[in-house]
Amino acid sequence: MMMRELTKSDLCNPVHRVPRLHGALLSCVLLSCLGALVFPARSPAAVASPSHAPALPDPYPSTYKPLPRSDMLIDNATVFDGIGHRLLHAGVLLHDGKIISVGSNLHAPEGTKTIDAHGGFVTPGLIDVHSHLGDFAAPFTLQDAKVSDVNEESSPNSAEVWALHSIRVQDPQFARVRIGGVTTLQVLPGSDDLFGGRGVVLKNVPAVTVQEMEFPGAMPSLKMACGENPKYTFGEKGQFPSSEMGNVAGYRQAWIEATEYKRRWDGYYAKHDPNLAPPARDLKLETLTAVLRNQILVVMHCYRADEMAVMMDVAKEFGYQITAFHHAVEAYKIVPLLKENHVCVAVWADWWGFKVEAYDGIRSNAAFVDAGGGCVMLHSDATISAEHLPLDAALTIGAAHRAGIDISEEHAIEWLTINPARSLHLDEQIGSLEPGKNADVVVWSGDPFSVYTRASIVIIDGAIVYDRNDPGRQATSDFEVGQPAIERPR
Amino acid sequence: MKRAWPALPVTLLALSFAIGGAQQSPNPSADSVAIIGAKAYVQPGESPIEDATILVVKGRIQAVGVGLAVPAGMRSIDAKGRMVTPGLMNSASQLGLVETGTPDTSDSAVVTGPFGASFDVQYALNPNSTLLPVARADGLTRVMVVPTGSATPPFDGSGAVLRLSEGSDILDLPQAAVVAEVGGMVVPKSGGSRGAQWMLIRSALDAAQRRMATASSAHKENSDTDKSTLLSTSNIEALVPVLKSKIPLVIVAYRESDLRQAVSLVDDYKIRVVIIGADEGWRVADLLASHKIPVVLNPYASTPATYDQIGARLDNAALLDRAGVVISFKAAFVHVSYNAGIAIREGAGIAVANGLPWPHALKALTVNPAETWGITAHYGTLQPGEDADLVIWDGDPLEPMSAPALVLIRGRQVSLETRQTDLEKRYRPDRAGDSEPPGYR
Repeated sequence: MMMRELTKSDLCNPVHRVPRLHGALLSCVLLSCLGALVFPARSPAAVASPSHAPALPDPYPSTYKPLPRSDMLIDNATVFDGIGHRLLHAGVLLHDGKIISVGSNLHAPEGTKTIDAHGGFVTPGLIDVHSHLGDFAAPFTLQDAKVSDVNEESSPNSAEVWALHSIRVQDPQFARVRIGGVTTLQVLPGSDDLFGGRGVVLKNVPAVTVQEMEFPGAMPSLKMACGENPKYTFGEKGQFPSSEMGNVAGYRQAWIEATEYKRRWDGYYAKHDPNLAPPARDLKLETLTAVLRNQILVVMHCYRADEMAVMMDVAKEFGYQITAFHHAVEAYKIVPLLKENHVCVAVWADWWGFKVEAYDGIRSNAAFVDAGGGCVMLHSDATISAEHLPLDAALTIGAAHRAGIDISEEHAIEWLTINPARSLHLDEQIGSLEPGKNADVVVWSGDPFSVYTRASIVIIDGAIVYDRNDPGRQATSDFEVGQPAIERPR
Repeated sequence: MKRAWPALPVTLLALSFAIGGAQQSPNPSADSVAIIGAKAYVQPGESPIEDATILVVKGRIQAVGVGLAVPAGMRSIDAKGRMVTPGLMNSASQLGLVETGTPDTSDSAVVTGPFGASFDVQYALNPNSTLLPVARADGLTRVMVVPTGSATPPFDGSGAVLRLSEGSDILDLPQAAVVAEVGGMVVPKSGGSRGAQWMLIRSALDAAQRRMATASSAHKENSDTDKSTLLSTSNIEALVPVLKSKIPLVIVAYRESDLRQAVSLVDDYKIRVVIIGADEGWRVADLLASHKIPVVLNPYASTPATYDQIGARLDNAALLDRAGVVISFKAAFVHVSYNAGIAIREGAGIAVANGLPWPHALKALTVNPAETWGITAHYGTLQPGEDADLVIWDGDPLEPMSAPALVLIRGRQVSLETRQTDLEKRYRPDRAGDSEPPGYR
């Protein structure tokens, strides 16, 4: 089976695998959705709750600490700053983990390490808003094909689960993706459920615990899914939902319950009475209620235009905002509607056809959304894409050109940098090379949109986390230690 | 800079064909055309000819050279100095067998019933698949189509080479190879150990040997008392061409131990073997080379995706090529069939970024798959006499931004329009304000 070359998706939806090897496998990969550009709030703390609700509890807090770092001047480069500019013969000055300045003729203070880019390119660290690293960890096994850590399949509403709790930090794919320049990733549950659970934003640093990777202060997300995956996952077992209309009924019923739960808790908070017994907690409804309080971002796996249009109305019906549709292969059909609803889309460059709901995929999808004034990001879903994200942008640029739309590279890099940063509400910290932002930087051997280019140096918060020319800065996972298959035969 | 094409036989052939061709084709015909101003990669792996003229007559390359006269009346296309390569070939796909991933449009695997090695994909091919134009528009003109599952493990059945011509005539070489699949991810199908997978392959080959011996003797009685599906008459007869070395036995395998088992089949049965997968192939590169085992690999493989692929690395292609293994490419996942062209082009570029010389990457997209699947007599280069599968590129074919400007398959120019480009026209951003629904466009 050629198809057995699983990347995660393959395994994620065993229900579909047996008879339909092709799309089947993919059906779940296509797993999720997150991210978006709606800018409702800058951070959880900034969200005013009308009902005196406290800030969202953070029981598994980040323990991230930047790796050892030194001040650096990266020079002799073409710089894509992530906000639309191409700076020639330029560089970036980093101090204490932050970007100090960007431009030409930068002066490095005493003690600053100088990195000569040798005429290569410099970009912000790439941000992948749709990853399953760690919760669809490699190596995949036949056990994973039966029961995996990416989908909780006991109920179509699994809003109570957190991707954070599935993440295997020693997944060797984290390092592969780091080599591809990805410094920030949003890890999501899969798409087999209507409500898949919470996603989490990680810094792509080598670590021992997932808390050491958690992006401090980043908002969690709620993964929801449209279409075939929930319908088949449960419908084929004779359970609810077994149709697309069942899917929508499932979302609505859950939001009705969340609305009632929120009302109970709002009433409790409003009384300010410490002697009053609080209402009973419910993990599913806590997550959904936090969405209604704008404390959690909704990312929604949807392919078809008609489904996305319905979901934007469901969001209005219950008073929440969809941050982004993920996959969104038919986004190009409804660009004005997406704009009107302030919903971003995160898409692949060229995935199409592997399932019925992906049949209308086009390579200009991202470019058409962009040209129509919408917000777009490129995401990976699978590791093979995350290792080469700029090539997906290149593919889109080429296809768009042939369709009559010219997109510059310095603009297209925004699909991988500032747009996902905004979608995660982290754009004050990451997503562009601007003074004051975190020093997440990638030095490329050449134009990152060329297949022949590779990342030379990857920097997170001012620390070199990968250096192609320094074996001491090429982290591997514990899994890879002591593996005879990896060592060179004598 | 004009360079003389170094290969003398080409020049001689060119002259002789050019004269004859001009006389035989006085009128423009659909499959006769001259490409002028080409940077022609006549023999992939070798230097191109600058400013070449390529004469295509009746679907075949008739002559290639500098300064060739274009016969009167022949249509002429100016490549304007751009790269012209043979049409590309994907070495393992399910193009023509799959459409939407649903069972009613998926014909690549038989999972119940009597079939094993005898299953033959040729009867399921759909020339009207919407996947085919997409592959053509990415410069793919040939593809090896292999089955992907089995009712009688470890044998999946036989694959076929397709030519991606427009119209119904797409079957290039039926029964081009018999495919067997081993490894951890398919172990349960063979009872629970990969040891059983190899023993089943060997017992089937043994049975086929006995059948050949019986067939050549006076008494044609069936000496096999085992009535299992594995050893059924049809499944065993399907292996006879393998034992006669007429076609290769394909082993889908990734782990070093399985690759070594495949090598031992060559030693023990004197058969031709092709490996699909071989993520750990670099560990046994010399052995694969010395046993003349071609490898079809996924150039994106970089992670220990399964326990069979712990040694996966991006320079696998470069290391195998350096050892002298004939490599060609397949893609993974969605890209196996739905993006069968662009995925192997970009994948070849990734192999180059990880050490494979560019000229060898072009070989791995053309002559190498032709050699692997036994169609060098008519496909793989732009040498006179070969089918005129060629692509004029708007840039470097290994770059994802690039695309074909023109594709000929057996001398016929094919459309670069696809269902996707039709949808793009229908939903162009400047039509967003139209009052009429897109359905009228």
